[in-house]
Amino acid sequence: MLLRIIVWAILAFLLAPLLIIVLFSFHASPALSFPFAGFSLRWYEELFGNAQLASAVIKSMTIAFLTALVTLLLGATASLAWLRFGHAGRGMIEALTVTPIALPGLFVGVSLLVLFAQSGTQLSTATIVIAHVVIAIPILIVAMKARLALFDPSLEEAARDLGASQMQTFARVTLPLIAPTLIASSILAFAVSFDEFVVTSFVAGTETTLPMYIWSMMRRTVTPLVNAISTLALFFSIAILVASWVIGQARRRSAIAGRLEQLEPLP
Amino acid sequence: MSLSRTRTGALLATPAILYMLVFFVVPSLILFAYSFWSSASYRIVPDFQFENYLGSLASPVFWKVTFNAIRIGLFTAAITLILSIPVGYYLVYVSRSQTILYLILITWFSSYLVRIYAWRTLLGTSGVLNTVLLQFGVIDHPVSAFLFSPFAVTITLVHIYLPFCILLVVSSLSEIKRDLVDAARDLGTSSIGAFFKVIAPNAANGLVGAFMLTFILVAGDYVTPQMLGGSSGQTTGLLIADQFRKTGNWPLGAAQAFLMFGVSIILYVVITVLGRATGLIVKRRAKTEREI
Repeated sequence: MLLRIIVWAILAFLLAPLLIIVLFSFHASPALSFPFAGFSLRWYEELFGNAQLASAVIKSMTIAFLTALVTLLLGATASLAWLRFGHAGRGMIEALTVTPIALPGLFVGVSLLVLFAQSGTQLSTATIVIAHVVIAIPILIVAMKARLALFDPSLEEAARDLGASQMQTFARVTLPLIAPTLIASSILAFAVSFDEFVVTSFVAGTETTLPMYIWSMMRRTVTPLVNAISTLALFFSIAILVASWVIGQARRRSAIAGRLEQLEPLP
Repeated sequence: MSLSRTRTGALLATPAILYMLVFFVVPSLILFAYSFWSSASYRIVPDFQFENYLGSLASPVFWKVTFNAIRIGLFTAAITLILSIPVGYYLVYVSRSQTILYLILITWFSSYLVRIYAWRTLLGTSGVLNTVLLQFGVIDHPVSAFLFSPFAVTITLVHIYLPFCILLVVSSLSEIKRDLVDAARDLGTSSIGAFFKVIAPNAANGLVGAFMLTFILVAGDYVTPQMLGGSSGQTTGLLIADQFRKTGNWPLGAAQAFLMFGVSIILYVVITVLGRATGLIVKRRAKTEREI
């Protein structure tokens, strides 16, 4: 019981600041303090007329989409390789793909900056995507590893023994088993990219993503507009997480349903 | 079959490995090479000298901000780990609550900058904390010391890195067989006793890992101290970032980044050695089951 109270107190600590941001984004007065002066949508109205913000959002969405796509392709092939490797091979893949998660964004940011400078690459949307993939891949691999550990290689062997070609085995056995986790984790890659700030600040050049825009607003003044943007960003992240969860669940349900169907006696 | 399996595997692994080599390993090596170069009147000259390292090590400013970063890092990582353990224990042994897990994931994926901004709003002189305390008569005038203080920096960093640390703790606790805990409980140990006698020794490596990872990320986080720490928010991370943005002495910044890296490694070694000497960390047994 005591443990339950402690756990919920810690969760309250995690959630309270976010709820307060949401609350004040609807505040009728610019003051960020109590007493609460009533609800209003004025900050949101002000946001929707802001062309700079709109372009930052579109930029971030584009970058996040490309990051998720590249991460999905690289992650999918790496996962398939992981299944085929022994202990040493798996260790090598992990060492290369998971390490960036254990480094501050600062390190990843400046090392990519020197790479781009040294190779004469102009900083652009492309360099931001490249950087975001470096930090999104570890998250995908960590999520995939937990799932792949449960993967039974004898399923693939059984399919091959029953005469399925390599392509058939992949399409009918391997892919359906790993696809839900792959898609769910590339949605997380989207979320990571959409929110990334530290690494971006080094490789963005003159590009302005949404976090860069929020940063410039935060630095200039404390305005309730930041609350409204933050609230939208927060709900967007929640929507992404929910989407990732729903996809994982729906796929699992359909897999189970499919198996039940096969168990039914044929007419 | 086995050979072609490995060959297909190698082929499949190539894109990801190549990507990480080009965009992670090579850049790190270039950065390392840069740390020996020199900078003269805003131009970077290839060179091989140790002045960037020696100069930094001899500089009181460097040590001051580095001690600050280490202090913030150790303090924050300790609090974060202490808070993560009950949540991790609850999620692994008491209830596999999906609700709690998703609430944690929501905070993990909620915007980094938004959370910094939230704490600024909460702790400011006209902020929520001050107005609430004033109304309840706890204080009679707004306290400006909440913001721009080590306190503000630590509480915000704990808030930012706690979800990540909880997930690390959950994964390290999940490796301990439930039967061990149940056996201890059946023999009459309290749940706190079971934690210290059964779980902690078995999970020590994982918990130290979680602590170190949190430390490295916190000590390298320069945005939070900058936004919430005021004059107390000068850390090595900010010093390094400024070399790459303002001053333009990239080789010096590169050397300081590797010094920071070295400090983290030394700290990890010290903690592990201390843990082994005091018997808190047991040497990990050879992974027998998995090998077979």
